[in-house]
Amino acid sequence: MNTSAPGSLDSCRDDWFPDEVARLLARVTRPGRYTGGEFNLRLKPGASPRIVLSYPDVYEIGISNPALQILYAHLNDATPAAAERAYCPWPDMAALMRAHDVPLWTLETMEPVAGCDLWGFTLPHELTYTNVLEMLDLAGVPLHAAERGEGDPVVLGGGPAVADPWPLAPFFDAFFIGEVEHRLDEIVEALAAPSRALRLQALAAVPGMWLPGVSERPAQRQVFTAFSSTPPVLRPVVPVLEAVHDRAIVEVMRGCTAGCRFCQAGMWYRPVRERPVDLVVDAAEQLLSETGCDEVSLLSLSSCDYSGVEEALKRIRDLRPGVRVSLPSLRIDSAAESLGRFAADQRGSVTLAPEAGTQELRDAINKGVDDVQFEEAVRATFGGGFTGLKLYFMIGLPGETDADVVGIAHMAATAARLAKEIARGRARLSVAVSSYVPKAHTPFQLEPFAGAALLRRRQQLLRDAMPRHVRVTFHDVAASLVEATLARGGPGSDRLVEEAWRRGARFDGWSEHFRFPLWEAAAAATGIELGAADLHGDTAVPWESAVAPGVTGAFLADERERAARGALTDDCRDGSCTVCGVCGGGVEMDVLP
Amino acid sequence: MTWWLLTFSRGGPASYLSHLDTARAVQRTFARAGVPISLSQGMRPKPRVSLPLPLPVGAAGREELAVVEVPDDLPGAATALRDLRAAAPPGLTPLAIVVVGEQHPRPQAVEASYACVLDGDAGTLEAAVERYGTEESVVRERVSPKGRRTLDLKKYVVHAAAEPAPGGTRLSFAIRHRDDGAARPQEFIDLIATWAGVEPVMRCLERRRVTWKGMPPGRGPGAGRSESP
Repeated sequence: MNTSAPGSLDSCRDDWFPDEVARLLARVTRPGRYTGGEFNLRLKPGASPRIVLSYPDVYEIGISNPALQILYAHLNDATPAAAERAYCPWPDMAALMRAHDVPLWTLETMEPVAGCDLWGFTLPHELTYTNVLEMLDLAGVPLHAAERGEGDPVVLGGGPAVADPWPLAPFFDAFFIGEVEHRLDEIVEALAAPSRALRLQALAAVPGMWLPGVSERPAQRQVFTAFSSTPPVLRPVVPVLEAVHDRAIVEVMRGCTAGCRFCQAGMWYRPVRERPVDLVVDAAEQLLSETGCDEVSLLSLSSCDYSGVEEALKRIRDLRPGVRVSLPSLRIDSAAESLGRFAADQRGSVTLAPEAGTQELRDAINKGVDDVQFEEAVRATFGGGFTGLKLYFMIGLPGETDADVVGIAHMAATAARLAKEIARGRARLSVAVSSYVPKAHTPFQLEPFAGAALLRRRQQLLRDAMPRHVRVTFHDVAASLVEATLARGGPGSDRLVEEAWRRGARFDGWSEHFRFPLWEAAAAATGIELGAADLHGDTAVPWESAVAPGVTGAFLADERERAARGALTDDCRDGSCTVCGVCGGGVEMDVLP
Repeated sequence: MTWWLLTFSRGGPASYLSHLDTARAVQRTFARAGVPISLSQGMRPKPRVSLPLPLPVGAAGREELAVVEVPDDLPGAATALRDLRAAAPPGLTPLAIVVVGEQHPRPQAVEASYACVLDGDAGTLEAAVERYGTEESVVRERVSPKGRRTLDLKKYVVHAAAEPAPGGTRLSFAIRHRDDGAARPQEFIDLIATWAGVEPVMRCLERRRVTWKGMPPGRGPGAGRSESP
């Protein structure tokens, strides 16, 4: 990185960038993806250790990820380390990098990623796995941990997808299981060890760390118990390039105990912890100044359930009139009330997620929404002046019948009727239907994936039953098939990822880049059946050998049994403890009085 | 209603922003600096900021112009300029603010000069530039989402020159902005590179100077009632 003053004439000589990088930038789409230069960028010349943080997708997606912002801010501002960033190069840039032998660089220093001490990936979902291999390869870092030597970085994985780390196990030196904020200092200290072997040894001693082939016990998922008393990130990196999300984010609450049985995040981020309203309001005020945004999002898995939502909203509006306050998710059972509160801040459309088409199936997944609540939410949407409503459903849920699928069409018809009555033809109604993929550490972790044939038949059934004027979109079944394979892969499932990547699979989460034939060929070459979970009987599952999630196997089994008989389980915030196993040993629910 | 003519330089990482991203960066810099921008009327008010002469992606600019409407009661532009500098992202540097009234005509670009570095032998590129000088007309077709059109580069591109530079050959030229439009820098660079038989990949593309019609009198863009800290 040059040291000339930003914007000085020196910068016109392109000395911000090495010549080989400048040559590539002149030939790719959206070169701003690779140049950094954002607001609130941190530079720590000479700092040690040097850590690179990555999100395995294109810049516009990755820069919007709140987890990476937390790690970046803490490492740079509160530890001796210098944290830099790298995202997955778009295929046009990747091709040029290979053709010209230019290794992946970081946005802060333009220095090669491979020279760092630790390379941390946050792993959001299974369809980014081939991008991890792509980034390792573009950086010139050996793909397999076993092949790495003294000069190579320690490659560390974290994030929600490590609930089952097996499909990526050979490519990572270590995985961190759970929330890492309170362990960052220990990780930085471990990197001070004088050799790679000693660094790995020191990392292995950090609670929550699982080293493939080394750790003898599953890693206990870590919970950041000081969440409530710790301010959120107050000086995030703000992209100059247009990103998918352009707003200030205040994480108001972590965890959700609504207990939806299909939801991995609901099981993974327990227990519920809430930030005090004062902390939220002060953070919002500072964030708006630091980012220049005109919108602040109160982020959590279910922000309407945040105890301080009404007070926080009022105080932020009083402090910053004209600033929009948004919530990323609305629960249907409280949507009518919530929409009344937020109507002044929302624009355009509302998304509601009934998830399933009949009461029976909604009870089975513990969604706990009835038809009356659904109608009230739709009425509140159009009555509140919103002009768009998107309904989100899943098909392929355990125990689902054709009648449940047709029920989706009935709900859409109800919404369409109310739209016509209330909004008088000015409303847009759309329905999005995804395919359910069973995930590790959920009550449905042992349920079979519905399979491509059944999902396609039910998609057609729903198309035929849907009112003609309602737009319905379906998630690609083939992509769900790949996701289902990797979401519950066991030892050896990494071969599928590597084979698909070697055959050219990249950006599998992008419909324009997802190429199913590559995955079919990879499955045939490795003998791995797409869509099949790597289950060993009804009790021992491979991910349990790597991860102790907090929720117990007994709780998950009990919830599965309750699902089979359609029994609801209360939110433990509202009633008695559900004995999920998370609380205890210093980990407790921490909600506002 | 008060208009500010803000000149700024764009370099380093900011060189790789699109026109819209640059406009957004200017707008966000104002917001971070706490300097309000007037909003447009209508259902979805937008900040009233415009950059009258788009800079190509990959190009640096020494004196770019942003036209910004601000509330009349805003305090001194000199203070604001200091705050804007502190709030700007790397590579974007506010240089000066000229305060003009509502009735002042919007500045229009008359001519802009550019320079870039191309790989290749200086002699070959000099020959290509000489050839350009001797041609009566050089007609090129431009394909865009709006359709196809032909333009004669000779009407727009003037003062072309090539000279040896570190790492290649520096190509410099100026583009005239006429009532019927203007050529794009890349169109001329592609032409010269093709004639010289070199790859049309340029580095260090820079807009060095823009001559404006309607800019308040004085010494260039920083003139008029310019305020600097």
